[in-house]
Amino acid sequence: MAIEFLLNKQNPDGGWPYLHGGSWTEPTVFALLALLAAGETARSKRGIAWILRTRRSDGGWASRPGVGESTWVTALAALIPEESVGQAAHAAAIEWLLPVKGEDTTTLFCLRQWLLGRPNSIDEDNPGWPWTPGAAAWVGPTAMAVVALEGEHKRRPSARVAARAQAGRNYLMAHMCSEGGWNHGGAKSWGYDAPPYPETTGMALLAAGRVRSPGMERALAVGRKFLTETRSADAQNWLRLGLAAQGELPQGYAAPQGIAYRTVPEVALSHITALGGLA
Amino acid sequence: MTRRELIAGAGVVVLAGCSSRKTAPRPQMVSIVRAPAYDQSIYDTVRRMLADHRLNVRGRSVVLKPNLVEFEPGSSINTHPMLVHAAYEAFRAMGAASVRIAEGPGHRRNTLDLADAAGYFHTIPGFEDIFTDLNVDDVSPVHLTRQLSRLGKLYLPNTVLGADLLVSMPKMKTHHWVGATLSMKNLFGVVPGGLYGWPKNVLHWAGINESIVDLHSVFPRQFALVDGIVGMDGNGPIQGTAKAAGILVAGSDPAAVDATCCRIMRIDPSKVEYLRLAAEGGAQIADAGIRQTGERIASVATTFALMPAFRAYRIDNS
Repeated sequence: MAIEFLLNKQNPDGGWPYLHGGSWTEPTVFALLALLAAGETARSKRGIAWILRTRRSDGGWASRPGVGESTWVTALAALIPEESVGQAAHAAAIEWLLPVKGEDTTTLFCLRQWLLGRPNSIDEDNPGWPWTPGAAAWVGPTAMAVVALEGEHKRRPSARVAARAQAGRNYLMAHMCSEGGWNHGGAKSWGYDAPPYPETTGMALLAAGRVRSPGMERALAVGRKFLTETRSADAQNWLRLGLAAQGELPQGYAAPQGIAYRTVPEVALSHITALGGLA
Repeated sequence: MTRRELIAGAGVVVLAGCSSRKTAPRPQMVSIVRAPAYDQSIYDTVRRMLADHRLNVRGRSVVLKPNLVEFEPGSSINTHPMLVHAAYEAFRAMGAASVRIAEGPGHRRNTLDLADAAGYFHTIPGFEDIFTDLNVDDVSPVHLTRQLSRLGKLYLPNTVLGADLLVSMPKMKTHHWVGATLSMKNLFGVVPGGLYGWPKNVLHWAGINESIVDLHSVFPRQFALVDGIVGMDGNGPIQGTAKAAGILVAGSDPAAVDATCCRIMRIDPSKVEYLRLAAEGGAQIADAGIRQTGERIASVATTFALMPAFRAYRIDNS
């Protein structure tokens, strides 16, 4: 069913939309990962061709073609197996990711804050990744970048890659909500505690690594609670991936009945999750 | 008829991006109507409000842009789905060729799930077929006309760029960054998260108040219908407290509508930075520039609690 849905949704240009319309990088990557996992080669090739065609000269990918800058979706493109996308494209994606960091952790920003007498709570040594260059770091893009770099380090051990992934994990731990779990990254607003979200909690658990600490125990408890409560397909997918990565997904877990899987990423990730996750 | 003649009642389309005006602009009509609860009477109330504004949408495309923020059915965070449905039905009855509902939430990526949890699927028949997720819609580049912010160029969703009339339908809320979030700030939801992320942080880095005004100037064909039946005060737009004001506020000039809402909330609109910037560009926020109809402000005004940083915005302190 999932594969049929994805095949039907593939655009003539080889990419995928989120739901309708033109092709975007994020749904194309997730659809490709699902098709590759299912052994669907012919349509995968068209998708890979789209990915290679839309690669930018700086080694990254824009969120969709025609938009003039590489963004966080480069981390997603780096999840495509090297043997499918080619060593050069994969290596360039990793190289693009490594130096990118939130604008709020740049030396210039920190200096400006210091000169203005504004206390900067951002840890310069542990930067996260922004959605788009020039903006602050957030949990979602940081989690995806860490997953991509961790995968790269497993394939090709590198102290540089490992260190950057660890800095990203430190960013995630520092941005956990006080009750456990994660929202988009604003754990506090005007001194008030902000609540975690199911989907970002799943993403961060996927990236956080199997460390155990009081904070991580709170995050796992929140993740397990969200898993039983959420009726969102996106949240179910990420929570399953995150809890599985932590070894905390209940054995034989099946998502509740009646959840609507509507978008290409939702359907693709559900399929990927069922097959064991983002390898 | 050209597109700019669409809003016949207003007579003049307010272009916030225009340079300073040499002649006194015509006062903008803003209507205030009591609506004590989210019940079936809203349908008739909205129909009458739109009729009063003499909107001519026959054969035109209309996009309704509610404010969808969080998964909290029954809370005062999101624009109530019944109000959106009432507007949908009213514009259809007025002969609009198409009416779509469109939103791009700023924090949560799973828009349809969010809409479902907020009651939109339950309240609006065939919701999925008439809804566009603006976060992942097809986009076109737009060069901003006012350039108060550092944005320069934005990619915006084709669904809203192609609309003959964009109807901003915010919740009446205080906001911990800008004081009040109303129909102008509601347009942050048209900026596609698929390109700019969740939250749409580029707007913050470019200057929140300046971005509100720049974005507003992209859409000269707007109507504002504010859900003030139950709004939010305190630490809005998410963590505040439900605040019943029992009103709907509407008009063809979002700045004038927002200024009126501020007065109802007992906030001085001239102290709200984005309204002040809009006024510098010719928007009508002063009493003299607004032709109030329906309820008088004094009869419906109710004090919305403000975060400490915004207490100087209180009308009593002005």
